[in-house]
Amino acid sequence: MTASFRWQSFRTVFLASVCAGFSLAGWTTPVEVSVRDPGGRPVAGAIVFLDSAAARKAVQPMQGVEMAQEKKKFLPDVLAITIGTEVLFPNHDAVRHQVYSFSPAKKFELKLYKGTPSAPVLFDVPGVVVLGCNIHDLMVGWILVVETPYFAKTDAAGSAILADVPPGSYRLHAWHPGLAVGAPTHEQALVVGAERAAKAVSVSLGGLTP
Amino acid sequence: MRLASLRGSLVARLVGVSLLLLLVVQMAGFAVVQASIERNARAQIGRELDTDERVWRRLVQQEADRLRQGSALLAADYGFRAAVSSDDMPTIESALANHGARIGAAVTALLDTQLKVRVMSSESGGALAQTLADVIPALTLNPTGSQVAVVNGLPHQFVMVPLRAPVVIGWVLMGFPIGQSMADEMRQLLAVDVAVRVSDGDSGYDIPVSTLSRSALLRLSQQSGALQELRTANGTLLVRSSPLTSVGVYSEALLLRSVDEVVAPYRQLQWLLAVITAAGLFLVVVGNIAMARRVTTPLRSLLAATRRLSKGDYSVAMEHTRRRDEIGKLARSFDHMRLDIARQQGEIRDLAYRDRLTGLPNRERFRAALVDALEQRSRTGGAASGVSSLAVIMLDLDRFKHVNDVLGYACGDRLLQAVAALLAPLAAAPGDTVARHGGNEFALLLHCDRDGAMAAAVHIAQSLETPIHFDDQNVDLSASMGIALWPEHAQDADVLLSRAEIAMYGAKRHTSVALFYDPALDLASAQTLSLLGDLRHALEHGELRVFLQPKVALHAQSGAAAEALLRWQHPQRGLVPPMEFIPFAEQTGFVRHLTLWIFEQVAALLAQPEARALSLRVSVNLSTRDLLDPELSTRLSSILEKYAVAPESFCLEITESAIMDDPQRAEAMLNRLAGLGFKLSIDDFGTGYSSLAYLKRLPVSELKIDKSFVLGMLAGTGDVQIVRSTIDLAHNLGLSVVAEGVEEGSLLDQLRAMNCDEAQGYHIGRPMPAQDYFGWQSGPGAAFGASATPSAE
Repeated sequence: MTASFRWQSFRTVFLASVCAGFSLAGWTTPVEVSVRDPGGRPVAGAIVFLDSAAARKAVQPMQGVEMAQEKKKFLPDVLAITIGTEVLFPNHDAVRHQVYSFSPAKKFELKLYKGTPSAPVLFDVPGVVVLGCNIHDLMVGWILVVETPYFAKTDAAGSAILADVPPGSYRLHAWHPGLAVGAPTHEQALVVGAERAAKAVSVSLGGLTP
Repeated sequence: MRLASLRGSLVARLVGVSLLLLLVVQMAGFAVVQASIERNARAQIGRELDTDERVWRRLVQQEADRLRQGSALLAADYGFRAAVSSDDMPTIESALANHGARIGAAVTALLDTQLKVRVMSSESGGALAQTLADVIPALTLNPTGSQVAVVNGLPHQFVMVPLRAPVVIGWVLMGFPIGQSMADEMRQLLAVDVAVRVSDGDSGYDIPVSTLSRSALLRLSQQSGALQELRTANGTLLVRSSPLTSVGVYSEALLLRSVDEVVAPYRQLQWLLAVITAAGLFLVVVGNIAMARRVTTPLRSLLAATRRLSKGDYSVAMEHTRRRDEIGKLARSFDHMRLDIARQQGEIRDLAYRDRLTGLPNRERFRAALVDALEQRSRTGGAASGVSSLAVIMLDLDRFKHVNDVLGYACGDRLLQAVAALLAPLAAAPGDTVARHGGNEFALLLHCDRDGAMAAAVHIAQSLETPIHFDDQNVDLSASMGIALWPEHAQDADVLLSRAEIAMYGAKRHTSVALFYDPALDLASAQTLSLLGDLRHALEHGELRVFLQPKVALHAQSGAAAEALLRWQHPQRGLVPPMEFIPFAEQTGFVRHLTLWIFEQVAALLAQPEARALSLRVSVNLSTRDLLDPELSTRLSSILEKYAVAPESFCLEITESAIMDDPQRAEAMLNRLAGLGFKLSIDDFGTGYSSLAYLKRLPVSELKIDKSFVLGMLAGTGDVQIVRSTIDLAHNLGLSVVAEGVEEGSLLDQLRAMNCDEAQGYHIGRPMPAQDYFGWQSGPGAAFGASATPSAE
């Protein structure tokens, strides 16, 4: 209930299909995902990512990722990172912040600080981490920890491009901070073929609070 | 008694009317003031209640804010958020209880993002869950507002704030009772009473919270429905309702303000006004009474004066005659009236008590004087004043009627005046009175004894012996006097008077000058008094008889004749002579019955065959009374019809004096009788003063020469000439002549020689019972009437 990603099951699938992933490594295809709400309006700021055993195997921690605080806001407000990535929380404001998270994916608290805390925070469990500041109630930030290298954020037109996706069968997930806390991500199946041409997928994402 | 006299009096009316008017004005003013005070007070209270309601709402809002702040504080608490995030139920629960207690919340709950209750801290239990089910959706729709709902009969205010970490991960809900403390605060702030009413689901209400007094609260709990005002024992409260509930069972806060508290200062003003009014009324009453007294006191005195006047007391002069106002005029006018009435009263009394002709006191005055004198005697005990006895002398002039007849009434009056002048000096002692007691009757009241009274009587008799002289005429007078003495003869004024009168009549009978009263005289008069009764009895019981005295014709004439005479066969007294009852019967008028009785008896007699055979004619005497009875002719003719007798069989005899009493009426009756066919005759001719010339006018056919003249013929005086000339004169006038009193045979021859037509007398025949008459007619009578019997012719 607290976590919606069934990472454990993914991991066993990954172990079983490791050979098949390697065999297809040479070819990639861009996937263009268009996210709309049930009313047909484009949804901006949604994170889409593809999940598969191969993708999990291919994931790498990201380097130099920051979730800054500027003008009493998290910047960016939504940050997608791969599992195992360490994130720095530099404070660009003159005031101190006390960033915390009660999310199951990562509970932490950065005591009242100014500037950049010396130690980054390691996010080693996939899931949604909601960030708050204990000083400033209005500050909200989201970090989505994914166990795949194939993820992107939709632009204002609601579309995102997943470049270099090797062919294979995936679960296409779509998440947006407007989804209720703890609600599961939108999920649908996606098969990426060997053709070079870009593959267009549309996602209808409901249950968003504006 | 005073009150009763006040009712309907002028004072009462004046005071009453002015009081009433003043009261009406004051009441009207009072009513207007009262109404405006009431209106203003209500308006003022209405404004105050507006304020109260705003303050109340503000207070409720403040509570909500406070609650919200408390809830927000809890929601923002990092430890709490950490506890919620870690699902640490015991910690969450204790945190809720802790914060709830801190701000006095009755309910504290944590809801999840789906608004399901995760943890709740409350003592209310099951009832609360239902309420929250209503409240939470309402709060969701308006998260920054508050909702009021009833929990366990008490309205609670609920707020809900989000729990953010930093996105909403749940809700903190708090409920706070709208309880006594809030009501008390309102009471302290604004001095307004507050009551919280909660619908009991039916038409009634529960009142869990109130600042009202016990009695007012009881009163309020009896009310149902919307309330504008509440009447309690301590006055009226205006009510403003401010609904509380937004969900579920209806509840409202009532704000109550007392009208009386607002009105109280005005009430004092009204009391002052009432006191001023009362004082004004008092002054008006006093002033009016004083004014009215000025008017009514003299009126009352005038009233008393008029009462005195009506009682006949004219001696007291009116008061207030000096005043210059209307009352004074009235009093003066009354006083004039008093004097006038007194004068007129004096004149009337004078008329009533004084004889106008002689100037002497009259009968009433005399009697009053007698009564006074007797009273005085009995008061002083009789012997106190020197002379102890009283004498009443009653004096009657003899033959006075004749004087009047002969000399005329004017002379009679002068004679009476002369007698009065003669008697007046006899009243010498104080209290002595001389009065004219009747026509020719005088009465004297003398304070003297028997001898003094006798002396006075003798003196009077002697004075009267001297003839009274006036207008060249000398009039001889004599008087009869009766004397009654007090206390010897009677104790009582009326008895004394009547006894003096009896004595006087006694004197007249005995032709003595003066008589003292004697019981024997009284007996005689008593006999007279009983006579009428006896006579009536005699008539009804056949004690009366008709006797016939024969008349004979002196020349050859047809038919027999007789005069009917009345005789009284009294069972005790024997045969009563006519002179003893006929005058009395004439006096009393009873004679009319007697006349009719005789007439009927005679008619019955004439109807007998013997009478018819004799062609008898009977004379019946008529008196004055008979002639004056206008019905006489019809009465007689009805008797004639009854017995089938011809009127020609009757001769009706009338004396001269009977005609002369009322000549006109008598003449009319005589004409009527003659018209019926009766033969009329003048009786006792020569004793009266009527002239033959006058008689000639009357329808008479016969004269009866009085027996005094006929008897006088025996003495050989001038009576022979009188009789002869009378007979001649009568014959010349066409009248037949009857001579009465023929007691000697010689007279019969003389009369026959004088051509007298008929004769009547003892020599011919005494009056005899009717049945004897027929025997006489065929016996002794035949001797006289040899020439008269029709058969002889």
